[in-house]
Amino acid sequence: MSAGSAAEVLRSPLKERVAENERLFKQTGSLFGLTEMKRKAQDPGQYEAVWHILLNGMNAAWDVGCKVSASPVAAEGGDAVWNLHLPTGESVCSSKGIVSHPGLLSQLIRSYIENDYEVNPGFRPGDIWENNDPHFGGIHSVDFQTMIPIFFEGELICWASSVSHVMDGGMILPGSIGFMNPDSFADGVPVVMERIGEDDRIYPWYEKRIQCRTRVPDWVMGDARGRIAGCFTVRDKVLTLVAKYGVQYMKDVMHEYIEDSRRYAVVRMKTQSVPGRIRKANFKDLAMKGKRVIKPEQDIDCYMNVPMEVTVDKDARITFNMQGASGWVPFGENITPPAVISAMMNGYSHMVGFDMFNWGAVAAWEIETPPDGSWANPYPVNYFASSGVAWAPAIIWLSSLYETLGRLFYARGFIEEVAAGGATTMTGEFAGINQQGVYVAGMTLEQACNGSPARGMSDGENSAWSIYTPNADFGNAEVSELYYPIMYLGRNLEPDSGGFGKFRGGLGHTLVWMIMNTPGVEYSCGDAGIRSKILGNHGMFGAYPSVPDRPSWAAGTNMKQLIEEQKPLVHERGDPENPTLVTNIEAEVIDTKVIAPFVTPRQLKDYDLVVHPVSGAQALGDPIDRNPADVKRDLDNSWTRERVAREVNGVIADYDAKSRKWTVDGTKTEARRAEIRAARRARGVPFKKWWAQERKRIQARENMDEAVVTMWRQSMALSPKYGAELRGFWKLDEDFVF
Amino acid sequence: MSQYEKAELKKLVDGGLEWSRVQEIMKAPKDGDRFQKWVALRQDEVSWKERILLPLTLKLFIVEKGAERIVKCECGHEFGDYRVNWKIEANIFVRDSEDGLNEVYRGREQPDTTWQQIREYYCPGCDSQLEVEAVPRGCPPDFNLLPDLDTFYRDWLGTPLADEKEFTDKTQEVIDTWNRD
Repeated sequence: MSAGSAAEVLRSPLKERVAENERLFKQTGSLFGLTEMKRKAQDPGQYEAVWHILLNGMNAAWDVGCKVSASPVAAEGGDAVWNLHLPTGESVCSSKGIVSHPGLLSQLIRSYIENDYEVNPGFRPGDIWENNDPHFGGIHSVDFQTMIPIFFEGELICWASSVSHVMDGGMILPGSIGFMNPDSFADGVPVVMERIGEDDRIYPWYEKRIQCRTRVPDWVMGDARGRIAGCFTVRDKVLTLVAKYGVQYMKDVMHEYIEDSRRYAVVRMKTQSVPGRIRKANFKDLAMKGKRVIKPEQDIDCYMNVPMEVTVDKDARITFNMQGASGWVPFGENITPPAVISAMMNGYSHMVGFDMFNWGAVAAWEIETPPDGSWANPYPVNYFASSGVAWAPAIIWLSSLYETLGRLFYARGFIEEVAAGGATTMTGEFAGINQQGVYVAGMTLEQACNGSPARGMSDGENSAWSIYTPNADFGNAEVSELYYPIMYLGRNLEPDSGGFGKFRGGLGHTLVWMIMNTPGVEYSCGDAGIRSKILGNHGMFGAYPSVPDRPSWAAGTNMKQLIEEQKPLVHERGDPENPTLVTNIEAEVIDTKVIAPFVTPRQLKDYDLVVHPVSGAQALGDPIDRNPADVKRDLDNSWTRERVAREVNGVIADYDAKSRKWTVDGTKTEARRAEIRAARRARGVPFKKWWAQERKRIQARENMDEAVVTMWRQSMALSPKYGAELRGFWKLDEDFVF
Repeated sequence: MSQYEKAELKKLVDGGLEWSRVQEIMKAPKDGDRFQKWVALRQDEVSWKERILLPLTLKLFIVEKGAERIVKCECGHEFGDYRVNWKIEANIFVRDSEDGLNEVYRGREQPDTTWQQIREYYCPGCDSQLEVEAVPRGCPPDFNLLPDLDTFYRDWLGTPLADEKEFTDKTQEVIDTWNRD
């Protein structure tokens, strides 16, 4: 065979098209070289109508796919997504659901192309492809990515894809939130860019692998069928549109929708923000010392530096950088750069590019490659770093996005678009025998329903928001009770969980679960993006951050006796210093402020209790500027406590037991607020004076936990410029290291 | 493109607009003259005369003072060049002990003070709490927003400002003048 014919054999038209698309974007500034939107210009009505038909098709796929799925999170919570892509991978249109994934799915298709899968083994009608490996476009192994090529008259015209979060991925510990995984070998059953079926049928060996390598195979296979059923729905819808409007029209508009989305994101920044630089330090704790871990080297406390710098240039192009990110961790909380891009695509869609949600927004910004060896780019240093729950640091990083962009919208006057900082994602999972005698492992749905961030002119909404899905939904308690051996004793809005400010974040809620009808079950309080030892560095414009994520549990309780005697039980969390768990029950073990994440050190039995909080979001403005009428409303609803009203908001109110209402005393409130201002004057010192003392404390590592010192050492080593800036600010010697 | 009366925008800013109307405003195409009306509204609220160039926070503004551009509080206190992080000219109080935290956070709500300190930045003029930071010891204060004002006015609004300034962070220049003790 001649060299020429070998090249002919290996030719990959898709790979060439990817290169051509990149060249056209560079040359014209428009995706695919679309300086004109011909189909949109020809008939804007039809263009818009077809978009909505596609969108409805995606949501129909979501409905079908979730109904076919088996696990509670997909079937009840809708924790899945369906997508349509160009042949070269770019996401065109997405269903509702977990919209943090379309970016990854886009990059996974690109990964197939870059790895010459078009040549060997080739893409064929009826193929079913799947991946869950972070090395090749996944995020964490329980998020299974399934896709099918859609052909028309022998030509690959697009892809349909789906992700669902399965309840057990065969990781080293049961469940789906692999925060404890020490390395990628513990990350569960791998599906590495594989064809898992052909002629629209799953290979039998795929089913066998799921059967022997996951703990709840019926649910996992049910979810696989759900993903595929939804993809078939997408294919049907697309081919119907092709039949109606013609294949060339559909190919054209799918490209134009993406360029349209890019233009929208750029214009929105230019007309609603301000060019400049925004910085937001943020941090995440992962304190595991002394807890149940897998390997001895995990008996440590980690502190993760999660910084965000945003630059908006004269063309409204945004650059994000993570200079200062600390090192990879020996747990599941590492993420890859492609997953960071997908996470940002999700966050960006909340704040900027939400008109036509697709890959176009990604072309409106750039993320500088995170430092090699950091938690956000571990593979150059440790190829086997675990991504058991890679969302964990990404959620914390993205919570800064709301505030950074919020500051720009505020400056421009679009205060209704301001969001003061996101809530966190703490999961509750159970593993053990349920009331039907069936082994179960999996997640409740509660974490998908946080408070929403405060806006520039109002409080956030209570339990109505989630960072990773627009349809926040904690599902029916009764459905969770069907799957898991638990009984809900309480599901309440948590007072004072939305930070303290002129406008508070929406409140989170607290679950009280009693273990019932099981020989034993483990509770895993998972880290899908939490802070437990620390507060978030949030609270815009003078507000205080929301409280840390700290669950409680009790084992060997006297609940059975209390129920029989009809005594008060535990239905809520109670006072921060005097929790109901302590006041109302007796138990062999009661821990009311556990540092999460953790897995219970012993199996829980009937009548044991778990109190699991789901966080509120962040606040905005000086707390003593809060409208006293808003404080009264919160007091009346038990959404705040009298102490907080008095000490933090400076509002003095009296309670009338008969009417069960509060009355604000205006005169006393004014006096109290003057008192708070006077206290600030008395205790505040000029920054320069404090700086001189603080730099000495830093040099002496005074009151700095070893985890803090280690974090600074890593951050400064991985990002020398960041290190130099830190040294410069505190006037430390050039060779200073922590 | 939408257009709103200044009175309605004032109601929006003051938090007095019905949520259903706020949602309509959020969903509608944005109003092209929002910035001009926004600045006018904020200018009406302050007692001083310097021209507001950019509202930074609920209380702080970048204003034009002669040929300079400075950060100024609603109360009139002046922090200096907008390219220097205003926090280093503010008063500060740090909560880094259980007692210190008790006024705000109690019991299970308190962070570990060997991991984190709570910094409160106050205006030296009116004692407003302007920003709060919850960071580990050693973290420099965030320079939250350094706007490229000249690009904004010249290229985005089409109304260039007089006396263009270099878009650069000058905080370190000030720190460099401070004695170590």
